[in-house]
Amino acid sequence: MKDKIKVGFLVNPIAGMGGRVGLKGTDNVVNKAIDLGAKPIAPKRAKEMLDEFTSIFSSYDKLIWCTASGIMGADLLTDSGIKNIKILYDIKSKKTSASDTENICKIFLEKKVDLIVFCGGDGTLRDIFSIIGNKIPVLGIPSGVKMHSGAFGINTVATAKIFKNFIKNNLTVGDIEIMDLDENLYRKGQWEIKLYGVAKGIVEPTYVQVGKSTFEEVSDNLIKDELAEHISEELDNNKEFLYLFGSGGTIDYIAKKMNLENTLLGIDAIFKNKNLKKDLNEKQMLELFKKYDKIKLILSPIGSQGFILGRGNLQLSPEVIRKIGIENIIVISTPSKLAHTPIIRVDTGDKKLDKEFAELEFIIILIGYRFSRVVKIQTNNF
Amino acid sequence: MKRNPTAFLKEEYEELVRNGFDWKLKELQGPSSPKCIVDGKEMIMLCSNNYLNLSNHPKLIKAAIDATKSHGAGSGSVRAIAGSMDLHFELEQAIARFKHTESSLYYQTGFAANAGLIPQLAPAKEDLIISDELNHGSIIDGVRLSKAQRAVYSHCDMGELEKLLNKVEKNNPRRILIITDGVFSMDGDIAPMDEIVKLGNEFGAMTYVDDCHGEGVIGKDGRGIGSHFGIEGKIDIEMGTFSKALGVVGGMIAGSQDLVNFALNKSRTWLLSGSAPPATTAACTASINVLENEPEHVNKLWDNIKYFKKELISMGFDCGNSETAITPVIVGESHVAKKLSDELIKNGVFALPIVFPMVARDKARIRTMMNAGLNKEDLDIALNKFEDIGKKLDII
Repeated sequence: MKDKIKVGFLVNPIAGMGGRVGLKGTDNVVNKAIDLGAKPIAPKRAKEMLDEFTSIFSSYDKLIWCTASGIMGADLLTDSGIKNIKILYDIKSKKTSASDTENICKIFLEKKVDLIVFCGGDGTLRDIFSIIGNKIPVLGIPSGVKMHSGAFGINTVATAKIFKNFIKNNLTVGDIEIMDLDENLYRKGQWEIKLYGVAKGIVEPTYVQVGKSTFEEVSDNLIKDELAEHISEELDNNKEFLYLFGSGGTIDYIAKKMNLENTLLGIDAIFKNKNLKKDLNEKQMLELFKKYDKIKLILSPIGSQGFILGRGNLQLSPEVIRKIGIENIIVISTPSKLAHTPIIRVDTGDKKLDKEFAELEFIIILIGYRFSRVVKIQTNNF
Repeated sequence: MKRNPTAFLKEEYEELVRNGFDWKLKELQGPSSPKCIVDGKEMIMLCSNNYLNLSNHPKLIKAAIDATKSHGAGSGSVRAIAGSMDLHFELEQAIARFKHTESSLYYQTGFAANAGLIPQLAPAKEDLIISDELNHGSIIDGVRLSKAQRAVYSHCDMGELEKLLNKVEKNNPRRILIITDGVFSMDGDIAPMDEIVKLGNEFGAMTYVDDCHGEGVIGKDGRGIGSHFGIEGKIDIEMGTFSKALGVVGGMIAGSQDLVNFALNKSRTWLLSGSAPPATTAACTASINVLENEPEHVNKLWDNIKYFKKELISMGFDCGNSETAITPVIVGESHVAKKLSDELIKNGVFALPIVFPMVARDKARIRTMMNAGLNKEDLDIALNKFEDIGKKLDII
């Protein structure tokens, strides 16, 4: 256990206000939201989490809280009786915005905080991510309109428990996906979730028994190494197949391990162990399928709900999936990811195709070298 | 010098000590009896696997002494070459008779049985080994030694196991091996072996059970899980041990003659390691004779189990879902379990804690193992200590 832990604490006071009044988010439309009668909810959620945290954690001198003044942090901490507060940023007015979030995060980066605990939703997280990237792990108190990203505890009490366990070194750092509404499509009248990036979040570690009653944590990277070995063999044994590598941190790691280039947020085509085409859209994939009729697709669950299709990978349209064939989809996951999302979800937008997935009831997921388990699969409609 | 070849010995040990993971061995002065001397102190023994106190049964002691006098201190060789004594064959016949199977094979230890046989049953990458997620470490090691594909199912979840068997068909595995503990060592719960055998038959999969905590405890006269479910002879490989209820040491596998012929020709642990000494072997045979002729030991064990558990529950302790001689006393956080154990030991009750990640974070416990050799007075003394310390630590 480290001696002192620096926690970057930030509250987005307007997060979640758009939801109740039917807006897609609150960024840029907060005045509209207020006009529609929206009330702030993030401060309340943050207080709940902090009150729960202070009731279950007592080593106060271990933590140094770095935060912003007033309603973006310091007020909440003080209200919950927290000491050791360092105010590193002064908000200029009560009308806070994304640039406040970004400025605070620049300071967090400078001060090398160990963890960023924030209160907000996908929008807030995107702002944080734009500055922090995957350099510092983040933990979200759920308080936004949209929370598709994997950074959030399921509720304020659960978030407090995760926070406590992280400080006690019982949890570890792993990949989480940053998801949010695809703004371009929204303007065209479509509500679709896009994958914006892969950040670091807090996950349950995987343990292996090394002696009697002694367990060792197995790092996520070691498990991904195993997955890479397995996928490498898979490709070697099926040279006549075209392989499509999906998005997300796990597949990205595996591709790099196999000396392939990879688009973190997109779909790449690999043939005979070499890059064929990168970051394909639907049209390009269908064009490719005219030449290659044997195709396998490698996917990994992303976001807070374990979606393998339907969130963040629209290029994999129903037509593309049908041409590949459900039986040619390989799903891979680290055990810690599965612990966070124990059900795999699919939402292709095509009712008939969704039904085919739902009828599987369970799918086999690869969780290590020659190591699998079955996991329940669900679709929105069935 | 390029490297220090042995510096890691001290470094890694000191790391374990720093984290509180090192083993501090306690010395038993004398036999492993229900009331014993540990580090000079008299203790009520609630954490040994000597469930029926057969380690101290006069028939076993006599058999061991007689066999040493007639056959010497050791067997002189591995079984395959010159170390197969009449005593070994006698024992194997007794095992088969006891388990109601066609044949059996005796290994030097239970671990050796799992590590030696499992990798031979499903050795290749075309094969598939399916395990319960809570299986014992010796099974995990046996599985690791194989090149087979592996899968796990959630603890005792037959629905999931069935789905898994359905899904793997499309890969057409050459052989499928389903392995499970019979009685799980953390919670003392029993695997649904009858359903596993049913699924094995339906899907053409071998079934393998590690019955180490089941022998001498469940089934008629302590015959184990096969007898418990009425499926003797129907489980393809029944593996067990002599080091727990049967009071000695050694592993056994029981099943068809085909299984035994295969096993003895292929298990590296059996083939490449010296066979069990005469004393041990004869004591094992004696232990089977005792169980066949003296049902009072298993009956006493169960009387003690029921009494102990009933009293603990009435005090307000959470004893989980145990159906066997392993009764967990679930207390919550790891440090509470450790404190309870320390206090119990100070007060003459030898019981050890099991903490995360062996079990869930908020389900750390004292794992008690009942003993047929304890009488009601002994149990009451132990129970009083549990109650006093439990109240002191705010557990009840």
